[in-house]
Amino acid sequence: MKRWGLALLAVIVILIVAVGAFLFIPHRLEEVSAPQGMPTGQALVQRGEYLARAADCVACHTAPGGKQYAGGLPFKLPVGTIYAPNITPDKRSGIGDWSDAEFVRAMHHGVGKNGEDLYPAFPYASYALMTTEDALAVKAYLFTLAPVQADTPANTLKFPFDQRRLMRFWKLLFLPGHRFQPDNGKSPDVNRGAYLVEALAHCGECHTPRNFMYGLDNAHKFAGAVTEGWKAYNITSSKTAGLGDWSDQQVADYLSTGHADKRGSAAGNMGEAVSLSLRHLTPDDIRSMVAYLRTIPSQGTATTESAVDLDPPALKASTPYSPTPDELQDASLGLQIFQSACASCHAWNGEGLQSPHAALIGSQTANDPEGTNLIQVILRGAKLETNQGTIAMPAFGKAYSDAEIAAVSNYVIAHFGNKKPAITPEDVAKARAF
Amino acid sequence: MISLKINGQSHDVDVPGDMPLLWVLRDVVGLTGTKFGCGIAQCGACTVHIDGKPVRSCVMNVSAVGDRPITTVEAVGETPAGKKVQEAWLDLEVVQCGYCQSGQVMSATALLTRNPRPSDADIDAAMAGNICRCGTYPRIRAAIKKAAEV
Repeated sequence: MKRWGLALLAVIVILIVAVGAFLFIPHRLEEVSAPQGMPTGQALVQRGEYLARAADCVACHTAPGGKQYAGGLPFKLPVGTIYAPNITPDKRSGIGDWSDAEFVRAMHHGVGKNGEDLYPAFPYASYALMTTEDALAVKAYLFTLAPVQADTPANTLKFPFDQRRLMRFWKLLFLPGHRFQPDNGKSPDVNRGAYLVEALAHCGECHTPRNFMYGLDNAHKFAGAVTEGWKAYNITSSKTAGLGDWSDQQVADYLSTGHADKRGSAAGNMGEAVSLSLRHLTPDDIRSMVAYLRTIPSQGTATTESAVDLDPPALKASTPYSPTPDELQDASLGLQIFQSACASCHAWNGEGLQSPHAALIGSQTANDPEGTNLIQVILRGAKLETNQGTIAMPAFGKAYSDAEIAAVSNYVIAHFGNKKPAITPEDVAKARAF
Repeated sequence: MISLKINGQSHDVDVPGDMPLLWVLRDVVGLTGTKFGCGIAQCGACTVHIDGKPVRSCVMNVSAVGDRPITTVEAVGETPAGKKVQEAWLDLEVVQCGYCQSGQVMSATALLTRNPRPSDADIDAAMAGNICRCGTYPRIRAAIKKAAEV
């Protein structure tokens, strides 16, 4: 009996020591050296600028109205707020003192300069796939920026989430331990696209649902998820719920211009990704991303109540200036708001008077019976930077009540999506809270 | 240099591609009949026709026009519907302060070109995006009806 007790005690002690070692042994700092053939000087900086754009670093590392890359953007989580740090080369408040090895360790292992574990709001589970050469190129570019003195506000996470070491458990489960591995069975195009989509653009961070531990649920890769009150849509090969029915040209146009003919336009976080990142990619890289997305297995199916209707009857019976006679007869509140605030740009027949970007025919957002993104875009407007200039929709959140926005949302989804939505003023109030 | 076809004439303008069409029309080409109202496509004062369709020139980048023809209030009277609209506007003395009226005329013309016999509801659906601070709406509607009869 006593022997068994001793054995149990020994096992417990070993476990405590093992977990303690796992949590407290300092992270190693691996030496890195520039791989052979890596560009130098201006060529390296230019490559780094392109890669930094492809990885969309600026989106998170810039506060609204703040200096680029100077950090400060808050990530409001249920357990507190995390702030994106300053990654300009300022020696005190930025990353000016970081060595190459420290920078690469952060990108690949999610470890800060002083060995602290970083939170996965920094998408290092994606950047872990980036080659060392590309990570060094990004650093070379960032170090050419003007140093900005800007202290990052301290995170306000609650216990136990303020214990950075706990991220080691998360990393054990969700951090890839390897760089991107090309699949020799696939074409170079698909492999290049996979690298861009997975390692740089980190599409999965929004488009793949997360499990209860905030890890990406890659069994449902790219099946769509909700982030910060916006839906990142299903981008798998599903013909009804995803991109399976889109032409290659449509996907490429959507990525590089934020709009595809008969598929609507990007807003919210996707609009930002197009504005800051995707539109700067070369046509070859966009084509590769499309080729890779085509290989993503289909996830989910949509019914007629939720799938995009590409040819809704109400649009066929409308002209640019007038809705259907039945709708006019009905004169619902939603129609009245649409005619005074929306129709002059969007047009009743879905073609978009102002710009192709205003065309609502085939828009996933105008077809979603839950109206998640529709409510957001009406409340907050949209702003898209394109290579032809800014395309913008004003925000209507302060001009209309929750009941009015619910009414116009229901009208839009019924008219442009041929659905029967039931959006309530409470739904709008919830959407305002984000 | 951007080449625009405005009211049947060719204009080469040296402006950035993201300049709103309204600025180009008023400040560069000198066609000041089109007015600046809200700047966010919510009032309709800046309405012009591109390819016969009404657009809000305040939020339209000049580079997005391409080679499509632009018609402004200065020349809309040369179209059959525009002529009728302008005559009806004068007959009924629609205008009070007048600031929004070039936009009203442009939207009304586009409506009548497409739909020569609009109902009251059709007029509301097409004209609700053109705001008139003086409240001349009843006369606007009456003038559109009058223009439709001629």
